[in-house]
Amino acid sequence: MLEQERNIAAWFYLAPALILLAIFIFYPIFNSFVLVALEDYNYLQQTYDGFTLTGNFRNVLNDPNFGQAMLNTMLITFVSVPVSVIIALLISVWLNAIPIQKIQGFFQTVFFLPYVTNAIAIGMAFAFMFNRRYGLINWFLGLFGIDPINWINMGASYENAMITLLIYITWLTLAFKIIVFLSGLQGIDKQYYEAARVDSASRARILRRITVPLLSPMIMYITVTSFIGAFKTYTEVIGMFGERLGPPGDPNSMTTIVALVYDALDRSGVPGAMSEAAAAALILFAITLVFTFVNMQVSKKRVHYG
Amino acid sequence: MEITLQNLTKVFQSKKEDEVVAVDNLDIVIPSGKLYGLLGPSGCGKSTTLFMISGLLKPTEGKIYFGEEDVTPVPPEDRGIGLVFQNYALYPHMTVKQNIMFPLENLKIDKKEGLKKAQEIADLVGIGHLMDRKPAQLSGGQQQRCAIARALVKEPRVLLLDEPLSNLDARLRLQTREEIRRIQRETGITTVFVTHDQEEAMSISDEIVVLDEGVTQQVGQPQDVYDKPNNLFVAKFLGTPPINLFDGRIENGKIMIGDAYIGKSEAEDQEVTVGIRPEGFKIVERSSFQVEVEFVETIGRDTTLIINHPNVEVQGSFEDPEEEGDVTTVEDTEFEALNLEMGSGKSIQDQKTFRAIVDADYGVQPGDTVKFSVKPHKMHVFNKETGELV
Amino acid sequence: MQNVENVEELYEDEQKIRFKRRMRLALVYAVVIFFAIFIIIPFYWMVITAFKTETQVFMSPPMLWVNPGEWQWVNFSLALERAPFIRYLANTVLVAILSTAGTIITTILSGFAFARLNFKGRDVLFMILIATMMIPGEIFVVTNFLTITSFGWIEDQTFVEAVLAMTVPFMTSVFFLFFLRQAFKQIPDELYYAAKVDGKTDWQYLWGIMVPVALPTITTITILNAMNTWNAYVWPRLISQREEFQLVSNGLRDAFDDTAGRIMYHEQMAASIIVTVPLIIAFLILKKYIMRGVSRSGIKG
Repeated sequence: MLEQERNIAAWFYLAPALILLAIFIFYPIFNSFVLVALEDYNYLQQTYDGFTLTGNFRNVLNDPNFGQAMLNTMLITFVSVPVSVIIALLISVWLNAIPIQKIQGFFQTVFFLPYVTNAIAIGMAFAFMFNRRYGLINWFLGLFGIDPINWINMGASYENAMITLLIYITWLTLAFKIIVFLSGLQGIDKQYYEAARVDSASRARILRRITVPLLSPMIMYITVTSFIGAFKTYTEVIGMFGERLGPPGDPNSMTTIVALVYDALDRSGVPGAMSEAAAAALILFAITLVFTFVNMQVSKKRVHYG
Repeated sequence: MEITLQNLTKVFQSKKEDEVVAVDNLDIVIPSGKLYGLLGPSGCGKSTTLFMISGLLKPTEGKIYFGEEDVTPVPPEDRGIGLVFQNYALYPHMTVKQNIMFPLENLKIDKKEGLKKAQEIADLVGIGHLMDRKPAQLSGGQQQRCAIARALVKEPRVLLLDEPLSNLDARLRLQTREEIRRIQRETGITTVFVTHDQEEAMSISDEIVVLDEGVTQQVGQPQDVYDKPNNLFVAKFLGTPPINLFDGRIENGKIMIGDAYIGKSEAEDQEVTVGIRPEGFKIVERSSFQVEVEFVETIGRDTTLIINHPNVEVQGSFEDPEEEGDVTTVEDTEFEALNLEMGSGKSIQDQKTFRAIVDADYGVQPGDTVKFSVKPHKMHVFNKETGELV
Repeated sequence: MQNVENVEELYEDEQKIRFKRRMRLALVYAVVIFFAIFIIIPFYWMVITAFKTETQVFMSPPMLWVNPGEWQWVNFSLALERAPFIRYLANTVLVAILSTAGTIITTILSGFAFARLNFKGRDVLFMILIATMMIPGEIFVVTNFLTITSFGWIEDQTFVEAVLAMTVPFMTSVFFLFFLRQAFKQIPDELYYAAKVDGKTDWQYLWGIMVPVALPTITTITILNAMNTWNAYVWPRLISQREEFQLVSNGLRDAFDDTAGRIMYHEQMAASIIVTVPLIIAFLILKKYIMRGVSRSGIKG
């Protein structure tokens, strides 16, 4: 129930936010399409050599790091997202099964810690943990007679560096998912579990047939946001490998699509660099759109809403 | 399957170390194939009892037998019971068919056979044509039937219903209670249900158990319990409108309310509470029980006279928090038991009036003076202190 | 009739069930503890490394424990000397306060308009805003860099210009606007009518009633926004033209890059602790608000 239209008053309240959004959100969206259409645009001199439809996209595709960036981003997305979603789901269910509130609260705090951690700081701690000679991981593996592995130091293989990065990203992204799943679990009516118990359903079956379907809107939400987040991986790589984006001696081997955007921005004085950055960002946007769309299609069939 | 409750006791421990006895030394035998109603005001321990029979709650003391078998230590999944929750607890993401099939899947019954069974049971409860709908697409009555079908499909030894009609509107209640009665007759399963609504309990039960504060007050066929209440609580709890209570006494074998002679009693002289059902009054030419009518309510064939009388005993009315369609879970029963201990769930009606239902033909008007005689079988006399029948 | 044997059997049954339940619980605890260790170890490693001497850091096999008496507290002062961390911390706090204050004010005002006022195009505008949440931030970064440059905040950058460049683009947020609007919408209309009857203006109602009632949500937004600033890396790196204008994350990364040779891990970890601990303390104190904010964001999906 609302009163009559109050246009002038409303715009007064909206003005501060709308002005900022117009400058820093709406204009950039529009301007991105302008930038990718300009050839050899130089923002310092405000000059360009005409228009192009695909030239800037081609520049991105021809970037020597593009293939690597695409591969890495896809690997990170399709490994870390499913793994962390499943682990987070299981941890949440187990956490929720702890009957003593105080103990459950303590573990909650532990699992949420990565959420409030600085990705750079803890990335450096991870890097040292995986240090070949002085790290904790190789010492631990040594207990089982495994020879030291070169995870991320000079001469490390691509596979090892990628595995290390994936472990770190999974570690870092678990917390958010656990918080969301746990609050979802606590919202499920307890009677469903009582009913299922009376119906002699085993624990595994209750999880599969009742908990997961009732949690499916949240699983869906987490999956979509995690995919988008994983496509945007960048700071995590810097935390672990520094601006070199790879183990020493192998720069850019861990590069990502977002890194292409910032690489181009770093070359901002060079004609066309800004357009290339905009093109890379638009490619990223296109990929996230496609995946969000695919996710939505899947969810229509498999997600139970309300 | 005969159900025996032996010295069944449930004590809830509140945070402040207080103990609340929700069910106190209950001894009941529910004969095989009968429909039993556990009846009592909210917090009387009836839901606690039901959840103990289901195994979802563990008794503090006492034993539960299904036939000869002691099921007290048996977890709910192995008891072979069907349980219909107050809000049905249908899985919202499954269709009616999947809901009904769910218990069968757990028993690892062949899918084809299961489907056949599910269809049979759905037809029995009258939702056979709705198998592919989701619970949200069903009416309240259909959801109720679906929940009953899900409880029945695994051929339980015992069927338990928690407030089965409380979430339905008045018209559906009538229809559904007949339906429950029919289904129970056709399947012959021993059925226990819980309700705070005495009309509901009386209309479908073979026998009812009236509970108060965890203690059995009376067990018997509904009409018997209504006609011959053991004590004041039972008399007060059964019947709408409720029984009228008067401050009275027994003098030389005469039951007196004030100066009015009401009836005969063989008991010794004492102060008593006289309970008279509203339909227990008869307008007569001559009687010492003479009153002035305050209000008259005529509804259909009956006329209710509302009469001020100085000897009316002010009585608490029973509140039904559950009436609002609240859902009781196993945890709530504990919560409720603890809560009731702290504050009383009863409100006081302090009008000194009583109601008499008489034939509309008398044409009584407000302000008229009428003389009553009291039908002896509609009158019950209770000891003032103990509340027991005199 | 129960005979003695039967009773014993039943007793055993009960024991078995109890045993099974205990085993299941033990398994739950075991798995939860296992993953908790997985989460804790990096923190432990960070702390223990920060307390080692240089020799201890470069020992193989690594030292897993250092006696508290031998803890090298000096590593923290060494870390602080290696780069102007105090300055970075001060910069970060300043930027966090300004951008959070800006976000709070703009979202309160616009949240009020969307929740309480009726105006032309309200629903369409809201849908458009929601849709922008889908767009990755990198799209904005490119043009925003150009915009900031055209404002003259890059060239010959002063400290004030650097702070403006780091805060102004982040002084509003569609997500927090959405979040706050939800909180405002839950305030019953009756309160508004009552205030109107008492002769209060919209402005008085907003600050006198709505904001106090929605204070828990505003607190949550404050914390989440401040956290974002604390962990910001990319944008400050891009626009800060002088080393001393940087924020903590940038300083932390740059000070300990290994291009200069061997990394002083003990100092690096000490610096990491300096950056990490304030947030963890804030989290432990404000856990309720942070978790609520995050789980709400999950429910909206």
